[in-house]
Amino acid sequence: MKNKSKAAIVISISCALLTVGIIVQLNTMKDLNKTVGGEDFAQSDLRDEVLRWKEKYDNTAKEIEEAEKQLAEVREKSTENDDGLSETEQQIKNNYNLLGTTNLEGSGVEITVTDDKDINPSTASALINLGNYIVHYSDIMQIVNELKNAGAEAISVNGQRIVRTTSIRCIGNVIMINDEKVGAPFTIRAIGLPEMLEPALTRLGGYLQVLNDAGLETDVKRLDKVEIPKYTGAFQAKYMKTVK
Amino acid sequence: MDKDKIILSIAIGFVCVILIAIMFTQFKTIDEADIVGITTAREDELTTMLATWKQKQAELQEQLDSTRQRIDEYNEKISSNQAAEELLQDELEQTNMLTGQTDVEGEGIVLTLSDAERSVTYEDLLELINELRGAGAEAISINDQRIINMTEIVDANAILVNQERVVSPYIVKAIGGITYLTSAINQKNIGFVDVRRGSGINVQLEESKNVKISAYSGRRSQLEFRYAKEVEE
Repeated sequence: MKNKSKAAIVISISCALLTVGIIVQLNTMKDLNKTVGGEDFAQSDLRDEVLRWKEKYDNTAKEIEEAEKQLAEVREKSTENDDGLSETEQQIKNNYNLLGTTNLEGSGVEITVTDDKDINPSTASALINLGNYIVHYSDIMQIVNELKNAGAEAISVNGQRIVRTTSIRCIGNVIMINDEKVGAPFTIRAIGLPEMLEPALTRLGGYLQVLNDAGLETDVKRLDKVEIPKYTGAFQAKYMKTVK
Repeated sequence: MDKDKIILSIAIGFVCVILIAIMFTQFKTIDEADIVGITTAREDELTTMLATWKQKQAELQEQLDSTRQRIDEYNEKISSNQAAEELLQDELEQTNMLTGQTDVEGEGIVLTLSDAERSVTYEDLLELINELRGAGAEAISINDQRIINMTEIVDANAILVNQERVVSPYIVKAIGGITYLTSAINQKNIGFVDVRRGSGINVQLEESKNVKISAYSGRRSQLEFRYAKEVEE
């Protein structure tokens, strides 16, 4: 009889512990599901605010475009009657072209890179090797580097101008260029001599072949006229100073 | 009495095994949910994006103000019939600096990469430059080769930067906010320093209040366009 009540106490204590354990687990799961599934208010607020700032940014970018046009006009006007100054004015204009704050056009190439369309994520092997079939930020970086090596004067990726502050990064499975999301298919444009630019990529062992071997679809076109848009952001010199 | 005890023990054992099994399943599910748990990352991402766009907007506003100020200054010169030489010189110097055509100095970091178990590759350098740019570097050089917008880093038996050969040790200098630069490349386990050290090259990081980076000295053709023209509107 004594033994029985002892056993009963042990059983009830262990049952209670296990039940508490399970309830804690279930609650954690519920919380997880809530945040994974629905958007809670805090998050959609945050999303709205990001959009608001992006809109503000775009508006300021438009204003800058206007102001820069005006600046170019008054700069030109103030140097009209002076050859020496006109030369300086031309150098300044050239610098803005180099920086990437102007829209440019010229001969060049257009490259398209597409994620493999034939992947079927329902097969286990495709899921495991999924990384092989999609375009990585490093692929874009390599192509841009090859184009620079082949003498490209200006480059854009999905409309994002590559400038001296541009980083190409990935957050999760999203590629960001100039802090803007870009996704497949990737269209990379470059101005330069098409006869130099194209072979730099399509040559045997060139980077496009590497991508083709990995199952990605690529295409290169030589073009007489490629348009490359300006960079809309600001260039800062908060930390550096010219040494006089 | 003995029979009862045996039945009781079996019953307890059975219940315990089932409960433990349930708990393990739960633990496992939670583990998996955490791996795929994009929510926390998503909210982080949004917070980062918000900070980024706020900052970009502030920088753009600053640029707009200074552009407008410049316009006013030019207009003043025009209306008073004065030469705008100083203004032009100022704008030229500013844009020369931004395009890498002047020697510059400022706070920043100096990284030294050298061959160890393996050699430093052009890809190490490419990734590093990319990360430094992402962390807001204003000027960068590798072994005194200034990295400008169109600088390429290639492997042709040796590493070439601006078509000049560079060799180990690679001294990479960057001017920018020290905190931003170091925190970006020093992230534990996933930052440039930890990853590259783990992969078998030496990486040293030094902070400096005064980093000096020399002007671009490579091909002039990189500074003068032959094919690209400004779009006339």
